[in-house]
Amino acid sequence: MDNRAAIHISNANFGYTKHKTSVDILKNITLKFGKGEFIGVAGLNGSGKSTLLRSVCGLLPLLKGDVSINGISLSELSASELAKQASIVLTEKISGFNLNCYDAVAAGQMPYTNIFNALEPEHKKIINSAIEACGLLLHQNKLLTELSDGLFQKTMIAKCIAQQTPVMLLDEPSAFLDYASKHELFLLLKSLAEKDNKCILVSSHDLDLVLKYCHKVLLVKNSTAELIPIEEARWHTVFKELSGGYL
Amino acid sequence: MKSYSSIKFLFLLLLFFAGCLFSLAYGGSNATTISDFSSDNFIFWQIRVPKTITAILAGATLSAAGLILQIMFRNPLAGPYVLGISSGASLMVAITILTGNTVGFFSNYFIGKSIIVLSSVTGSVLITLLILFLSKKISSNVILLLVGLMLSQICGALQGALEYFADPDSLKSFVMWGMGSLSGTTNSDLMIFIPVSFMALAVLVFFIKPLNAFLLGQNYAINAGINYSANRFFLILVSSLLTGITTAFCGPIAFVGIAVPLLSRMLFTTSNQGVHILSCILIGSIILLFSDVVCHTFSADFTLPINMITTFVGAPLVIYLLFKNKQW
Repeated sequence: MDNRAAIHISNANFGYTKHKTSVDILKNITLKFGKGEFIGVAGLNGSGKSTLLRSVCGLLPLLKGDVSINGISLSELSASELAKQASIVLTEKISGFNLNCYDAVAAGQMPYTNIFNALEPEHKKIINSAIEACGLLLHQNKLLTELSDGLFQKTMIAKCIAQQTPVMLLDEPSAFLDYASKHELFLLLKSLAEKDNKCILVSSHDLDLVLKYCHKVLLVKNSTAELIPIEEARWHTVFKELSGGYL
Repeated sequence: MKSYSSIKFLFLLLLFFAGCLFSLAYGGSNATTISDFSSDNFIFWQIRVPKTITAILAGATLSAAGLILQIMFRNPLAGPYVLGISSGASLMVAITILTGNTVGFFSNYFIGKSIIVLSSVTGSVLITLLILFLSKKISSNVILLLVGLMLSQICGALQGALEYFADPDSLKSFVMWGMGSLSGTTNSDLMIFIPVSFMALAVLVFFIKPLNAFLLGQNYAINAGINYSANRFFLILVSSLLTGITTAFCGPIAFVGIAVPLLSRMLFTTSNQGVHILSCILIGSIILLFSDVVCHTFSADFTLPINMITTFVGAPLVIYLLFKNKQW
């Protein structure tokens, strides 16, 4: 096992089970992502980008093969250990129950708090810096229901950052964001990957951003996933097809 | 923020003690017995004290159960009564009493009571599991509520059928049980009621973190390092125990379980469930203590059913929330 690989997917099938039969969305995937790599996951709607990201952090069961994070197989990691290895931003919305922006970001520190979920000064420091990094200082006391879609998206990204995991998975985090915030987000993620040596996978339909900031592109198409270096991505025939020739 | 919370808690504690005093002072008898603490004061020690303790426990357990259910289903309109869990408990007790009397379970007091408690808890667990299964197919909060009400109707109808065919002796003991009152609990009943409720409530301390995580939904809770299915399993068990034990001694009590967590979230603007567990226990006790007082103040000759008062408090609150359509 290559210890330098942050995520190692070997011969895995990703998908879900419906009525006790498994539906394979991605088949026979073998991939390695290194530390410090910022990877854009591109593909058409329904190609399996979300399925891939959810499977890597254990939210969907593996249908075949194995996924390991920093050399440890997902099956050997407990829920709390996995939460310290990989964090995810999903596309689903949460609200209600008096949840505010700060609480949602604080959930990132949950794997590190005691059984009463008490926030110590060191936890608060990390939460506050994540809130600041995502530009949420003015909004941290607002209820999630009061936040715009873009601010909610930023809140969940801040949660992901506050979780301080070596692997970060973001499912379409740039949806709902304004033009400047999209670029700021990709710049922030790129610097996190390069400075903190994190492995970051971000799925996005903003192909221009992916081409501009990411190190590699993971192209998800026809039940397979292909890792392409960024220099080749622009000239990749399949990638051209993906952009509909508009890029 | 913090200081306001402690003032609110202090206020709740004051209300709680006031409620205890009033509940001890008012009862089925006109005798103002509260100043006489001698052990031969039968009305005070054998009727008022168990009634007051029952009010506290019933309010605390049902409210805590409601809080758990609302978070587990991520539905601010959930509660043990509206989801039919209380009715399920009630039905199981009906089956036990109406069929068990012939077997002679109830010759021994403690065995009889324990079996009633067990069947009540079993009924709660079964309905909770059924609702949980159905909730995966239902995305709307309001439809889940309607399904719960239907389940409760079905349980009620089955119970009615059982009563119709029951022999007079078992029917009498079942009707006595099903009056749904706080005054039916004796001091010997409390020997079971107090320890079980205390245990079930104390255990909640270990679920503060999972409950906080559950607020974010299943996926984010798992990604926060929470063992989702194990915690959900234990939360179903605890909430069923809380509903079951109270239903076993008081019958199904309406609307406390749904209304109190809503009130708690209106009063305390935090999302930390540690605060809400404590405030639900306090607010639930207060509401049942004062409901009990109201039951007794209208007339010295008869006691109003407790469900009448709790419905008057709880149902308008639920209607208000439905109209306001705000996510609490």
